[in-house]
Amino acid sequence: MGEGERRPAEVFAGGGDVGLDLAAVSWDETPLGAPDGWPQSLRTAVSILLSSRFPMWMAWGPDLTFFCNDAYRRDTLGEKYPWALGRPASDVWAEIWGDIGPRIATVLSSGAATWDEALLLFVERSGYREESYHTFSYSPLRDDDGALVGMLCVVSEETERIIGERRMATLRDLGSDPSAVRAEQEMLTFASAQLARNRRDLPFTLTYLFDGPDVRLAASTGFEGGPPPLPAWPVADLADSPVVPLDGDLPAGDWDEPPTQALLVPLLQQGGTPYGFIVAGLNRYRVLDEGYRGFVELAAGHLAAGITSARNYEALTELDRAKTAFFSNISHEFRTPLTLIMGPVEDLLARTPDETVRAELDVIHRNGLRLGKLVNTLLDFSRIEAGRMQAHYEPVDLPAATSDLASVFRSAVERAGLTFEVDCPPMDQPVYLDRGMWEKVILNLLSNALKFTFAGGVRIAVHPAGDRAVVTVADTGIGVAADEMPRLFERFHRIENARSRSNEGSGIGLALVKELVELHGGTIEATSAIGTGTTFTIRLPFGAEHLPADAVATAGSAVTVSDTASPYVQEALRWLPSSVDVAPTQQGGARVLVADDNADMRDYLVRLLQSAGHEVQAVADGQEALDEARRQLPDLIVSDVMMPRMDGLELVAALRGDPRTAGTPVLLLSARAGQEASIEGLEAGADDYLVKPFSSAELLARVRANVALARLRNHHARWRTALVDSLQEAFFVCDDDGAVIEINSTFTDILGYGPEGLPYAPVHPWWPDRDGDPEGYQQVNAAFAMILDKARGSYTIPVAHRDGHRLWVAAAFSRVEDPETGRRVIVGTFRDVTAEHYAVQRDSALAALSVRLSQADSQAAALDGVLSSLRGLWQATEVYAAVFTEAGPPALTTTDPRVRWENLAEPSRQAIAKLRTEPLLTPVAEQSGGAGIALEHPDGTMVLRVELAENRPFTEQDQTLLALLAGHLGQGLHRIHQIDQQRETALALQRAILGPAQLPTGFAVRYAPATRPLKVGGDWYDTVPLDDGRIGIVVGDCVGHGLQAATVMGQLRSACRALLLQNTDPAQTLTALDRFAAQLPGAMCATVFVGVLDPAGGGLAYSSAGHPPAVVIHPDGTSDLLDQGRSRPLGVPLAGERPEAHYLVPARATLLLYTDGLVERRKHPLTDGIDRVTATVQEGRAAAIEDLAAELMASMAPSGGYDDDVALLLYRHPGPLELDFPAEPGRLSPVRSALRGWLARCGIDPTTTQNILVAAGEACANAIEHGHRHTAGEQIRLRAAATADELHLTITDRGRWKTPQPAANPHRGRGLKLMRALMTEVTVTTGTAGTVVALQARIPR
Amino acid sequence: MSTALTFTTGRHTDGAVVLAATGEIDMSNADAFAAALTGARKQAAQAPIIVDLTAVEYLDSAGLAALFPHIEQVTLLASPLLAPVLTVAGLADLTTVRDAQ
Repeated sequence: MGEGERRPAEVFAGGGDVGLDLAAVSWDETPLGAPDGWPQSLRTAVSILLSSRFPMWMAWGPDLTFFCNDAYRRDTLGEKYPWALGRPASDVWAEIWGDIGPRIATVLSSGAATWDEALLLFVERSGYREESYHTFSYSPLRDDDGALVGMLCVVSEETERIIGERRMATLRDLGSDPSAVRAEQEMLTFASAQLARNRRDLPFTLTYLFDGPDVRLAASTGFEGGPPPLPAWPVADLADSPVVPLDGDLPAGDWDEPPTQALLVPLLQQGGTPYGFIVAGLNRYRVLDEGYRGFVELAAGHLAAGITSARNYEALTELDRAKTAFFSNISHEFRTPLTLIMGPVEDLLARTPDETVRAELDVIHRNGLRLGKLVNTLLDFSRIEAGRMQAHYEPVDLPAATSDLASVFRSAVERAGLTFEVDCPPMDQPVYLDRGMWEKVILNLLSNALKFTFAGGVRIAVHPAGDRAVVTVADTGIGVAADEMPRLFERFHRIENARSRSNEGSGIGLALVKELVELHGGTIEATSAIGTGTTFTIRLPFGAEHLPADAVATAGSAVTVSDTASPYVQEALRWLPSSVDVAPTQQGGARVLVADDNADMRDYLVRLLQSAGHEVQAVADGQEALDEARRQLPDLIVSDVMMPRMDGLELVAALRGDPRTAGTPVLLLSARAGQEASIEGLEAGADDYLVKPFSSAELLARVRANVALARLRNHHARWRTALVDSLQEAFFVCDDDGAVIEINSTFTDILGYGPEGLPYAPVHPWWPDRDGDPEGYQQVNAAFAMILDKARGSYTIPVAHRDGHRLWVAAAFSRVEDPETGRRVIVGTFRDVTAEHYAVQRDSALAALSVRLSQADSQAAALDGVLSSLRGLWQATEVYAAVFTEAGPPALTTTDPRVRWENLAEPSRQAIAKLRTEPLLTPVAEQSGGAGIALEHPDGTMVLRVELAENRPFTEQDQTLLALLAGHLGQGLHRIHQIDQQRETALALQRAILGPAQLPTGFAVRYAPATRPLKVGGDWYDTVPLDDGRIGIVVGDCVGHGLQAATVMGQLRSACRALLLQNTDPAQTLTALDRFAAQLPGAMCATVFVGVLDPAGGGLAYSSAGHPPAVVIHPDGTSDLLDQGRSRPLGVPLAGERPEAHYLVPARATLLLYTDGLVERRKHPLTDGIDRVTATVQEGRAAAIEDLAAELMASMAPSGGYDDDVALLLYRHPGPLELDFPAEPGRLSPVRSALRGWLARCGIDPTTTQNILVAAGEACANAIEHGHRHTAGEQIRLRAAATADELHLTITDRGRWKTPQPAANPHRGRGLKLMRALMTEVTVTTGTAGTVVALQARIPR
Repeated sequence: MSTALTFTTGRHTDGAVVLAATGEIDMSNADAFAAALTGARKQAAQAPIIVDLTAVEYLDSAGLAALFPHIEQVTLLASPLLAPVLTVAGLADLTTVRDAQ
């Protein structure tokens, strides 16, 4: 390699173009330096970054130097590439540093990852400030020592999705107008309210309408209090949808700056000049691209369509007003031809013997009657309206007249299976009626009752009430909804969707009744309840005063029912089922289903179609037709529009909504003429529309054409399918049982299930396996319950592709009611969010792994934790970690503790062995549902293998994740390994060098390493028995922690020990130790307390090298600090000699030596700690010395454990007395003498001393006499120890005392009595191993 | 080996026999103390016996056991050191406490 030549660093290999550009960065000029010198952790991070196909960037080092991969460059970086590489991240993302800087700072300070979903950031990557949305996570990166040095960002840009959803929402809202038709201004107000909600895409809008030559501002959004005067818009260029630059103070919408340009879009009118135009102020942070322009145009399209519909509606209302007048005017024109038809027909009927001809003539006759009735009714109206009704009022016996009329209807009512009650008792005065009119009133009401009543009956009653006669007609029919009641008597008003025996009717019957009753000076009202029935109540005044005098006759005419009744009854009878129906004949041709509620029309159609060779099935309403079509699909359906239960339009909609019947052609027949009606029919999906009356030839021609075209047509279905299929998202429709009945092609692309399998009943085949993935199954089950239960919602669930692979989809659904069928369906869309899902999963997995690694205090624990989290992450059946060392079989760790390498299945062994040969940190997915990766382990190569459930594919994302995790794991294991090794060595060392094998009596010692993180340090204690019987005591503290400090401590301790043995003088010892420390690296500045104690007299000579003072607690609780004899820490130059101090440890006082770890706390002065430790010893001065040591370590520990190591040494003066002597009477005197001497050292008064001597003597005598009478010479042990205020003695022998027998040995019993009398407490415990006498005496103050 | 204990016997001017013990009395030498007491009884015949324990530094139930057979005839002299033991043994009424000479 020549001078100055740069070799692309190996670390960038595999990074594609970005790798080359990264290699070209002048790294020497960055804080990271040349890549050759980069730490392993940085190299690992960069490798992972570059090998990932998921967009990522990272920042490393003090300047947070920027790296990114190819995917990030493509999706997000824009023009900043390659400039950004190697620059400080705060330069690269200067414009959004205010947003992301604090997040990165948090990651670097806390080590916790961040997660932001669809965060709005204004980036400048395309030459302007751009609204963009990003879902990203920052995770911490650590260097080889585990310090936080950088962060990794995994990001997916969501700008397109967020903005697309926002625009879709606006378009959806525009189309959500609940009222189908509105007046123009209402419609504009509604639409403006919707546009105003999207303040990001439409900061403001102005809607202008052309009014002849003028332009009128019709609506606006975004302006508070209306828009200011605005410049003229370039209306001439409207056809090109021009963009107009803006200037000035305009509404900014959700942004901080107003739009700089606006888009003008015409509101197009089909086949005409535009209605006007809309001006849309444009979001300055988005370019006006195709999507944005399309959005504004679609919104304008909505407005234009709304205007069309509103204007049509206004025209229709006007038309309706003209209708009544028109019908009335022409009605009487029908009467003449009708009369000329009916007369001859009746003649022919009377003369014709031929049954077939008679049947045809019957049809003509019946329908002639019906037409005549209709014409007469209309004529009545026109008369009433024109005030030309010729009424003729005469006194009538109302009950009789009414019951006669009712009787005419009896047979029809009873044939319908209903009861018919007539309750018309005689009245004592007549009512003035026009008979003709009254007949129409009663017949209409009865006819109406029969029409809408299917069970129960009809009741008619007449009775007087004061000055009026009351007539009621009541039924138990379907009833009328409360909101329909006010319009019940309205002319031409028909209640839609009411179940009735026939849908025939003009909607003028009740209106006429009302007019007629009012002509009589009466009133009519109705009460009704849905499902219960309806009651009409007529009130007529008695007398004739209220009637025009010239129309009143005084005498009544004969009471007969006129011909008027016949058409009513005839009509009613035709509603009822007849025994003769359809006789399908098999003549080939098409199968045609006929639906018409009029039996005559039905029969006519059947005959006609059969005559043309078709096979015909006839039904009476839309519901029956739908059922029949579903049962057996016809080639064509011919249906009337107006039918009870389900009308023709609903039938068409229902047929089209069901994929099985969606393709069946439908020919609608209607009496309603006009373009509007036919458009409605065709819009509903009918294939053809025929207006009555039609010729038989025309019908047959249409039928033929429709059957022939059946497979080529259906504009509706094709259009809709194309629309739905063009959606980027998967689309589905469920019925209210949850069965999927419609899907689009994206659905098939995502899930693999096509339309051929429709309907997909729940449980849908893409649900996760209930046994294999119970958790996934549960999630889907919950989402499914929500679909059936909620009106709208969204959820994210795992699903299984038809080929078995697993996906995550985010779905949104909404329940809609089909406006025509009233059926509930659920419409939903979803998209594949597998990648996003795994991104989230990856971040949480990385975070979890980092936590596991940081918490584990050994490699084994780390590996255990990591394997189980990997297993959970992939729902793996098993996760293996095999470490291949140089010799022997690999060390295997798995999530199943029973598995060993030796009993591992052969395929798994082979798979693991194969992975070992793969390059490190390169994930390998196996064919058979497994994946693995090799990585460096402190002991060799480790293979990590994830064994997956069957069919669970290991995707690209999974592989990236595995590589990331393996990289982290390798680093983590190395780190733990280092820590492990250091700590183990240090602990072993500490154990080996700490603690004298034989601790002199009276001492208690403790050592504890720092708890968190667990680490040893340089603290020590020591006791050194000197030749003269004195004891050297040492407590010291070397600077630093870990192995190094422990090693220094060991040498200092040994040196100090040797020097003490030589000098027996604390100051001299420390002086010599100074010289030693000067030679020993790391020993400088150690602090040491050296004392030489005379255990007999309590004299203590001591010297301190910068060590915290020892504490002495007297028996009475007072305390002394041994703060004399102090000088500098070891090795620090010193002016004079090291000083030495002398102290006399009082009897039963407690001496405490310690290192600063026991007392030093952050933010508290050392003296606080010393006071606390003094108080603790004071409280514990009556406790045994070992108990006191334990109590001290526990009560002084901070809540999280010691953060520094602690050494502690306790001595209570004098130390306990321990005597072992043979069980011989002659030994008693020397024992007493030793005990007496010890008690004197304890400072015990003569009386107490004597009491103790006697009690102990008695105990020893007992031991000699009874415990060992047959085995003289056995050992007895006496132990005595003092606390501040008590003496404790135990006398132990190996014999068994006899039960005292006072009679035989009176004085022995006296011995025990003496003990009890002299001591505070005496306990004698006899066991198989011997007897222990415990004596306790309080020491008087 | 027995605990050090010596006796001197003498007569008081009023005729009482005085047995003075010096040392410690425990189970190893209680027999010697008993023997000394028996000797003193013989010597005293019906005269009172004064057992002088003021120079005895230790006395336990073995020594008390030697005293009990003779309590009809003896009075005791003892130092305050022995007083608690003698009191516990119920011999306080026979005992005069005084400091050792």
